[in-house]
Amino acid sequence: MPLLEVRGLTRFFGGLRAVGNLTFSVEEGEIVGLIGPNGAGKTTVFNLVTGFVRPSSGDVRLGGESIAGKKPHAIARKGIARTFQIVKPFPHLSVKENVTLAAFLRHRARADAEAAALALLERLGLGGRAGKLAVELTLMEQKRLEMARALATGPKVLLLDEPMGGLNPSEVGLASELVESIRRGGVTVVLVEHVMKAIMRISDRVLVLHHGERIAEGAPAEVVKDPAVVQAYFGHGVA
Amino acid sequence: MGALYAMIGIGLTIVFGVMRIINLAHGEMVMLGMFAAYLGHKSLGIDPYLSLLLWVPVLFLAGVAVYRFLLARVLSGGELNTLLYTAGLSLLVANAALLLFSGDYRTLTLGYAVVPLRPFGIAIPVALAIGFALAVVITTALWLFLGRTDLGRAIRATSQNREAALLMGIDAERVAALSFGLGTALAGAAGVLLAPSLYLYPTVGELVIVKAFVVVVLGGLGSIPGAIAGGLLLGTVESLGAVYVSSTYKDGLGYVLFLLVLLYRPSGIFGVGRS
Amino acid sequence: MRGRGALAAGFIALAAAAAVPLVVRNSFALHLCILVFLWATLGEAWNVLGGFAGQVSFGHAALFGLGAYATAILYLRAELAPWWGIPLGGIAAAVVSIPTGLVAFRLRGPYFSLATLAVAELTKLVALNWEWATNGPTGFLITSLPTLHLFGISVDWEAKAPFYLSALAMMGLAMGTAAALSNSRLGSFLLAIRENEDAAEAVGIDTVRAKVLTLALSGFLAGVSGGFYAFYFRYIDPDAVLNLGISMEMVFIAVVGGLGTVLGPLVGAVFLTVVGEEVRERFGAGHLVFYGLFMMLAIRFLPEGIWGRSRKLLARLSAREARHAAPRG
Repeated sequence: MPLLEVRGLTRFFGGLRAVGNLTFSVEEGEIVGLIGPNGAGKTTVFNLVTGFVRPSSGDVRLGGESIAGKKPHAIARKGIARTFQIVKPFPHLSVKENVTLAAFLRHRARADAEAAALALLERLGLGGRAGKLAVELTLMEQKRLEMARALATGPKVLLLDEPMGGLNPSEVGLASELVESIRRGGVTVVLVEHVMKAIMRISDRVLVLHHGERIAEGAPAEVVKDPAVVQAYFGHGVA
Repeated sequence: MGALYAMIGIGLTIVFGVMRIINLAHGEMVMLGMFAAYLGHKSLGIDPYLSLLLWVPVLFLAGVAVYRFLLARVLSGGELNTLLYTAGLSLLVANAALLLFSGDYRTLTLGYAVVPLRPFGIAIPVALAIGFALAVVITTALWLFLGRTDLGRAIRATSQNREAALLMGIDAERVAALSFGLGTALAGAAGVLLAPSLYLYPTVGELVIVKAFVVVVLGGLGSIPGAIAGGLLLGTVESLGAVYVSSTYKDGLGYVLFLLVLLYRPSGIFGVGRS
Repeated sequence: MRGRGALAAGFIALAAAAAVPLVVRNSFALHLCILVFLWATLGEAWNVLGGFAGQVSFGHAALFGLGAYATAILYLRAELAPWWGIPLGGIAAAVVSIPTGLVAFRLRGPYFSLATLAVAELTKLVALNWEWATNGPTGFLITSLPTLHLFGISVDWEAKAPFYLSALAMMGLAMGTAAALSNSRLGSFLLAIRENEDAAEAVGIDTVRAKVLTLALSGFLAGVSGGFYAFYFRYIDPDAVLNLGISMEMVFIAVVGGLGTVLGPLVGAVFLTVVGEEVRERFGAGHLVFYGLFMMLAIRFLPEGIWGRSRKLLARLSAREARHAAPRG
């Protein structure tokens, strides 16, 4: 049984169909890439899966259990965590507190939560910044903080929304390694990304979205050559 | 009445649209307009409608000054702080007026406005009729200004997308200051027009601000046509409510409508504006 | 100051304050203290929701008034003594706040604030018109309080001391609650909600439940204050207990004193009462002018409030001392 399943997922915003009859599944331990031109509905899919937006129709299942329409905190509790395209830290709280708050989901006592938080921060290279306020961090650091926070909730599935956005090439390399190490730690990853180099390198499988529908799926190297995909990105008239 | 509500609402919605500020002191601006007209009439004998020519520019400049010197610094603190700041401003202005003018209710009666007009057998108070007419004139002028002039377009552009406007070389700060001035002037003008029809007292701003928000939310925050529609809608609902439901609860109707819209159609009944 | 030290200091301060009426006989001075305690309680009540959770309510007067009316009605119609009635008034306010919160908290930020404004005005309208229940604009007059025997003495309700002590206890309760909250998980969750509500949801915090719980707590404190008000001032009507000015004063106290701090509202209440009395002497009406002015000044220059800023300064001073005291090497 796949860990995460999406069946016939559809979402309308007024007259606009942002996601249309989308079906895909993610096996445990995979890293799945979700790509598509701007406006294809990728972030909406994340919002639907994590409960920030309710589906107009269709279902989302985690480990066989339906979670469609549940509130975000309940879904987080079930084991799906996410990062945001534009980082959303708790700006005036310390880096440590940012992660500790997330760790409370799995540890009742503050001391335990703080310890878990610090361990995660170390692992993500933010140990030295634990005392700083989140606003004081650089963008790369904030993205790592966002990941640490998501991981602190002890998820089975981690959804990363454009984690490489705004990073320079060496930072992209570091971030890619980080995602791989997260998978080695036992977390299944789905990532939305525009930085093709990263997607190609770390994804086991890639899904391509266009106008809210799946237009291709498969190994990274194949998908990139798929004519439908090429047309979606570059429009008509490309040889 | 609806048209005047609309005017007040437009002022508020412009300020929100351009600067994302919810100006709680807007009601006090209206109150200032009312009192300005009252004073002008009482001590100098100026007809309030004529005094519009004087007060509108004055209030416009006052608004720009308020923005430049008071508001601009606080904006970086965030929405919450700005909201509280304008709340403080509203307290300040309302109570300063209270100190200066005392809490007595005043009325401004115009010699020529006592006998109501009777078109088609419906009695319409003269003051309201003139107010309505002038409000329509002003709103139309505003519409033309926003649609045809460069500055007007700059305001609309900044209101829709501040960053893009900046990229296009629009001085967003200047536009913001001017928009605030415009909003204030509109509020004050509405106040002047309202003066002959309502009781004047310094804390009337409390009543006004809530109605202004009802109007703006009904039409969609940031949308000018929405504010017009919202104003007319509120005016109609209140008048009908006063007749058919009960005159004491008519204010309550506005509040209920407001809450309903906020909850179920946050982008306004007409679906315009952002949530 | 954290933990045991703070608790001990708190008790000592309370004990000292409780001893004041033994020494001070001036009726007016005691009256001022009572006002300070009352406003501090209201400030704490508002601060719990507005400072900790970042949900700015302009309608808290509704909860205050609800408590006042509930207590008055229970006393005048059901002859329930105030020592039972006041807590019940608080509970009534808390209970009413729950469904209101469930609905209102669907809104965020300024929309929420506006909604609270509308709800409060609606409440006032209802109180003015529902004559059967609330006596409309006439309100309620409490002519005498029931007799109470404590430690063998019959309590003299004409004196200030009993009210002073009750108000002090009430404030102590409010501050204790705020302190307990700030040290609890719920308190931390509230801060997260204030900082970024979406992110809070994403890490598993049930934001609606947290907000509603906090509102209920806030409502209880405000309602209890309302009940106290009813019996101290002995007269309530919609304009006295449900008007917007009260809501704004609560906001003012918390903002000027220190949003999100425990001692802030007390500082704010002292400030407000002192300034208020001064202004009332000189000017009569319109004293809120200075509230408006100070609120603007506070936001502009002291966004953490008087106490909030003092706390930061104290922290920096003690850090500097620690650095000097620590040996080099």
